[in-house]
Amino acid sequence: MSDIRILNDNHSFSRWIRSLLLMPAVFLSLAMAGQNSDEPAELSRVFFLKNCTVVRQPGVTLSGQSVIIRNGLIEDVGPNLKIPFNAQVVDTDSMFVYAGFIDAFSNTGIAKPEQKERPKVQDPDNPPMDVAGITPQIMAADLYKPNDKSVGEMRAAGFTMSHVAPRGLMLPGRSALMSLGEGEADRMVVRKSVAQTGQFASTRGVYPSTVIAVIAKFRELFRNAANAGAHEELYKTNPAGINRPEYSKEVLALYPLTKKQESMYFIAPKVKDLHRALALRDELGFNMILAEVKQGWTLMDRIQKTNTPVLLSVELPDEDKKADKKDKKEEAKPEEVKKEEKEEKKEKEAESKDAKSPEQESFDTKKAQALKEYVSQAAEFEKKGIAFGFSFLDVKPGDIKKNIRRMMDHGLSEKAALSALTTYPAALLGVASSAGTIEKGKLANLVITDKSYFDEKSVVRYVFVDGRKYEYNDKAKKKSEDTKQDNVKSIAGKWSYEVEVPGQSSAGTMRVSKEAGNYKILVANENEPSKEREATDVSVEGNKLSFRLEVDMNNFPLKLDFNLTMDTKNFSGSVSVGQFGSFPVKGELIDGPDMKL
Amino acid sequence: MKIKIFAFALGLFLCINVISAQTGDLLIKNATVLTVTKGTRENTDIWVQNGKISRIDRNIPAPKGVRVIDATGMYVMPGIIDAHSHIAIDAVNEATAPNTAEVNVGDALDPLDVSIYRALAGGTTISHAMHGSANAIGGQCQTIKHRYGTTDPAQLRMEGAPRTIKFALGENPMRVHGEGNKISPNTRMGVEQIFRKAFSAAQLYMKAWDDYKKGLTKVAPAYNLRMETIADILKGNIIIHCHSYRADEILMLMNVLRDYGINKICFQHVNEGFKVAPELAKFGATASVFADWWAYKFEVYYSTAYNAAILTRNGVVTSINSDSGELIRHLYHEAAKTQRYGDLTDDEALALITINPAIQLGIDKRVGSIEVGKDADFAIFNNHPLSIYAVPQMTIVDGIVRFDIKNDPEDIRVDIDPKEKYATYYEDLRNHEYYGCMSGVMELFMEESYASYLRYIYSKNHTH
Repeated sequence: MSDIRILNDNHSFSRWIRSLLLMPAVFLSLAMAGQNSDEPAELSRVFFLKNCTVVRQPGVTLSGQSVIIRNGLIEDVGPNLKIPFNAQVVDTDSMFVYAGFIDAFSNTGIAKPEQKERPKVQDPDNPPMDVAGITPQIMAADLYKPNDKSVGEMRAAGFTMSHVAPRGLMLPGRSALMSLGEGEADRMVVRKSVAQTGQFASTRGVYPSTVIAVIAKFRELFRNAANAGAHEELYKTNPAGINRPEYSKEVLALYPLTKKQESMYFIAPKVKDLHRALALRDELGFNMILAEVKQGWTLMDRIQKTNTPVLLSVELPDEDKKADKKDKKEEAKPEEVKKEEKEEKKEKEAESKDAKSPEQESFDTKKAQALKEYVSQAAEFEKKGIAFGFSFLDVKPGDIKKNIRRMMDHGLSEKAALSALTTYPAALLGVASSAGTIEKGKLANLVITDKSYFDEKSVVRYVFVDGRKYEYNDKAKKKSEDTKQDNVKSIAGKWSYEVEVPGQSSAGTMRVSKEAGNYKILVANENEPSKEREATDVSVEGNKLSFRLEVDMNNFPLKLDFNLTMDTKNFSGSVSVGQFGSFPVKGELIDGPDMKL
Repeated sequence: MKIKIFAFALGLFLCINVISAQTGDLLIKNATVLTVTKGTRENTDIWVQNGKISRIDRNIPAPKGVRVIDATGMYVMPGIIDAHSHIAIDAVNEATAPNTAEVNVGDALDPLDVSIYRALAGGTTISHAMHGSANAIGGQCQTIKHRYGTTDPAQLRMEGAPRTIKFALGENPMRVHGEGNKISPNTRMGVEQIFRKAFSAAQLYMKAWDDYKKGLTKVAPAYNLRMETIADILKGNIIIHCHSYRADEILMLMNVLRDYGINKICFQHVNEGFKVAPELAKFGATASVFADWWAYKFEVYYSTAYNAAILTRNGVVTSINSDSGELIRHLYHEAAKTQRYGDLTDDEALALITINPAIQLGIDKRVGSIEVGKDADFAIFNNHPLSIYAVPQMTIVDGIVRFDIKNDPEDIRVDIDPKEKYATYYEDLRNHEYYGCMSGVMELFMEESYASYLRYIYSKNHTH
């Protein structure tokens, strides 16, 4: 009884979350309710993809095909297939079907660590291993969160598996191959332990704090891992007269690396990182895969001669803004063009002051050349005959296709691009017999696009992960509808909101405004209308609005992630509250955008 | 075990062969050749084959297809060698412990650093890229050749140059560890104990490994790269280069080294070296000094511009160094100052920036003078290099022209970040702090905002 009273008395949103923490029974029922509502309406695990163009593997494209998916596997693929009686027919007429993309290396599903205060270390020369960044015993599979935003984003970009590395410093830990489906993290594990990961990263104030100390530490750990492993084995055979081995989980985790039973994915974006990484490998003698390579064209010979597997970064430096502007101007509205022209005029004035500077001229020429080199990297590797995959540590999932297209504009072939997304990572990660191509008996991991994926205007319409269907809206169509409604005006304004929780609800107001091109959102609970909290990570895409609200309850920080679908007069969507699950939220427009904020 | 060591050594040898640097062929005609060790020769030609000096003579006929440099009226001297600098490295100080012998700046060489080109523009072909002076026992250093243009860090390494390590006395290690971290050394006495402790511990460490190798123990001792490095000093495999100012401390370190049987030492800065010149000569220690730079902190007030001359005349092998990305461009001026303060001869003055630093780095068999068989590293001047009117015209490393005043591009950078907004001269402002002994240290102990203020101050005033 008293529990119910607490719920009814406290309408503040943060308060009820605290009460959730206090009441396991209520929490449990809520969590279960949340899970049930998340469950998609899956009528049957049999699908029939009708009359589509199937890209069986890079370079092999067949039209007029059908695909039968049953219980997570590709049952059949070919022309003139009979529709199974219990199949859901997916209207894929004239669409393109590819093997689901495989992300060969990223941090997908691994949350960024909280910004913590630097721990007080007694002896900066000898800090705890984790503070020093030496955590090779950590398993990415244990940290993976299938409901992390990045997982959904990668899936929407056409990816069905991610090779996931833990985040960290010099030795972040062991990577895992994860299926990008929904459900419990353990059920998403394809390979629990793939490889060690490494990079030249350090922290200030404790050893190793510089790249020279990282390399020295690496040498020492490697030697000690080999010794410790040998000691352990010797002790197992006959402990007489031998000291008991000193157990160190960090040092022993590196033993398989020293025996070449395990490899290391080394994050080496720039030319110096690459040379240093390869020098370390040559000196110590272990298996290395280069990841997130951005400046690899200078060492193609070295990479080729030593047969080093290589993953090129899909993050690219931006094009020169001026060139971009010219393209956009044609599409932009008249007033925007005017504004841009004004800005350009200002820029030109600023430039004209030192326009004659030969240094600046030479600098600009070289800069343009450098940009070209970065974007042409993949094409150069292809020309040289070095097979490669892609890695996705630094790129936003939404930019992946755009950037691969830029590489193709600079000479990368479609075949090589597709192999970097499918067959190369499948082979590298040891799943070539179950993924990477479209064949009978392989996993039903597919990405389906309305045009060729590599077409500028193509849209991902369906993604199948382990035979489970994810459907995506035709954004192009939506967009044209949205522009009619002028979504900018429809979102700005003062809105009411109400979060629905069984037996409890929380309400308040949300003010949306647009300042200097960015949306600003202020949220206030009805109990404390004067205390407005500003949202972060605001993103607007079409009529989708998402943002994060950080609230602090008695020093317990909580992150509320809102995902809303906006209409002219009202909105609906959900708010997810960390591990507590996700709850429906709806609201109405109270005041239009003209009101003074 | 022995087989393993042999295989390892063989591996190293192979590596060196694989990364052998680019070399060239040249004929320099009709120059005044300042050999430094074998006198000055007028109207003389130098023939370079595969980066080595193959003949020094008059009227050498030009071989077919070989580039001829007409040096009529010009002076050719050996490439200038700087025994103390911090250019071309990405890390200077691992300031987290008073002894970090295991780190090696050679692991973080930066071939993209435009300072290498600036040094070339001042005739400097070799520099000693050093760890900083934050720790009593700093890291190992790397002798580099200024092969600017490469992107491969290994190409900078002077292959075959002996290993060297940075030590530091006095205020810097006391300030960083005593004041900063509240640990030893907080006094000059404490600095001495850091060395004694390190050497004694390394002796025990070597014994533990010897016992294991002899089969007296069954399990290998824990491998400790710091101890390994100190052990290599004890074995005489590493030359110590010690940051020092005060005479009493210089004597102290010589006493410590004598106790442990170590004799390869070059004192750096050594502003009070003139007070203990006979003792330095007797020990066989060498000295690398500034021409006339002092009073930048308390322990550096008692100094004189006659230091280099006094040391030289007392039989101490002496060099003049830069410790700066700026001074490295005109070491020939610095050497000339010893003629005003101390009346050194031309050859004595030139030796301060050529053969003497070569001896201190253990590379004098290869470089430091113009002799047949030595590396073709030259600086070519329009006037005598000790003249105030001297301007470097061309700098050659291994027979390759790396700087030519007549072909000096506006933008010489090797690596351009397409995201970078500004050009070289702005970058320089940002990077300049790297070139001092104490770079990257003090911000360890303070708030970030104050640290960035200090970085700015450091960029204006060097601290050594």
